Amino acid sequence: MNWVGAALWVLGLGIPAVVDTTWVSVAAVFAIYAITALSEDIILGRAGMFDMGHAVYLGLGAYVTAILNVAFNWPIFATMPVAIMLAAAVGALLAAPLIRLRGDYLLVATIGFNAIFVLAMQNNAAGLTGGSDGITGVDVPHLFSWELASQSAMFWLDWVVLGFVLLLMRNLDRCEFGRTLRYLKQDQLAATTLGVNARAAKTLAFAIGAGLAALAGSLFAVQLSTVGPTSFVFTESVTLFAIVIVGGQGSIPGILLGTALMFVVPQIFRNLAEYRYFVFGIAMIAVMVLRPQGLWPRRKRAA
Amino acid sequence: MTTLLELRNVGISFGGLRAVDALSFSVEQGQIVGLIGPNGAGKTTVFNMITGVHLPTDGDIFWQGRRITGAPPHRIAALGIQRTFQTIRLFPDMSVFENVRAGCHLRARQRWWQGLMALPAQKREEAALAARTHNVLRRLQLDRFADEPATALPYGLQRRVELARALAGEPRLIILDEPAAGLNDAESAAMNQTIFGIRDAGTTVLLVEHDMNVVMNVTDHIVVINFGRMIAAGTPAEIRSHPAVIEAYLGREDDDAEDAA
Repeated sequence: MNWVGAALWVLGLGIPAVVDTTWVSVAAVFAIYAITALSEDIILGRAGMFDMGHAVYLGLGAYVTAILNVAFNWPIFATMPVAIMLAAAVGALLAAPLIRLRGDYLLVATIGFNAIFVLAMQNNAAGLTGGSDGITGVDVPHLFSWELASQSAMFWLDWVVLGFVLLLMRNLDRCEFGRTLRYLKQDQLAATTLGVNARAAKTLAFAIGAGLAALAGSLFAVQLSTVGPTSFVFTESVTLFAIVIVGGQGSIPGILLGTALMFVVPQIFRNLAEYRYFVFGIAMIAVMVLRPQGLWPRRKRAA
Repeated sequence: MTTLLELRNVGISFGGLRAVDALSFSVEQGQIVGLIGPNGAGKTTVFNMITGVHLPTDGDIFWQGRRITGAPPHRIAALGIQRTFQTIRLFPDMSVFENVRAGCHLRARQRWWQGLMALPAQKREEAALAARTHNVLRRLQLDRFADEPATALPYGLQRRVELARALAGEPRLIILDEPAAGLNDAESAAMNQTIFGIRDAGTTVLLVEHDMNVVMNVTDHIVVINFGRMIAAGTPAEIRSHPAVIEAYLGREDDDAEDAA
């Protein structure tokens, strides 16, 4: 599986050579949302915490990059560590008092965060977020003297970051921290009596998930060169949540498949794009009834 | 002998119900101590207080002389106290191997970022944890089932897997909540031998058991509680002939209906 995945990723590098610019940008958006969905999977699929406000962290990353770049002239790559650290800190701060809540209460609380975030951005918080119009004119990234201005160059950047995140996810599956999240998800009482510090592990999961989503958010700001509140509304969080549940919790191929269904397939049926939520809604119901473990569930490994 | 665990006047109320009241006893290193009593006597509640799952309303619990009352479960575990559950609590989506490896959690030294980057030190530790897990599996004759889904196994084997998981952390004290419940005669006899094996390997044992025959054959010291209060304590021989114990077990028939735990 790992070799198949690595080969597919390498093949993906050739996408700009075989399709036109429109499709290259679709592929770039796929990569960005795949990173976001994978980061949601850390919190929801692996740690089992009902995070229904994940678009907040995507948005935080996008806004940090846009503000630092447009208002303060920072180079794009310099904004990324700030975006990641800030979102991770916010994720940990928001999560810390809430992780003791039962799943359904946590879900409602995270919906609240999402609503507050969108309102704050719309109301031009701190005079920096540009209100409903958002921020326009985000620069392209510069790598030394190379300007990543073309759609292909941006796609490669997104694809490389996706590859990096996929490696992190694979490593997460093979390390004690990743297993700890699964222990907590499956039986928190048993896990804590084995020595698992539930609060610390869950807060860390939230921080890492938020940080990776913010990394995707930075790429999002670059890809669209504009950032506005409508990209991070509650329905976006619902979509990310649904991708994890429908694709398969804790399953990397499942998450990628779910992302493709949600963000690539609608492009193929462009005329039907407005029915996206209708079709996906029906698909969600069908999957939950017929295949509750997800389309491509996590493989149960022996060791 | 050194005292590992000591309860002093421990009590807990749930609403108006006094589940455990002024309970005092201690566990010496190297012993197998039994905590017995009729249904609803408060045995599991006592275990939950020792392991930090419930906070005692009053009284104190000491571990090697240090007060540990109210410490959260993961801190209790880090002291070297492991437990099993009356209703087996294995991780349902994991293999036997994965369940037992979970018991090694406290032995893992790797930091999360070392794991995410798959650094060499982390990989070495992964190999060491796997080896430790296999040792425990062999010790409890579970190696044949390593790759089986844990919850698909017969009940008796699931109990053994849970025991292996608790032992993987090499506890100083292991607390077993009805280790023989649901086992047939042969499995129950094997469990007795397993418990002796645990003690002989240097781990002190505190167990709740309903089955008097099991308790009498295994323990060095027995504490009998009923309605949350201690009614007797002593060696198995002393307990067998203790009038209060006989009355508690053979007494009024409606005792079983007053299950409070």
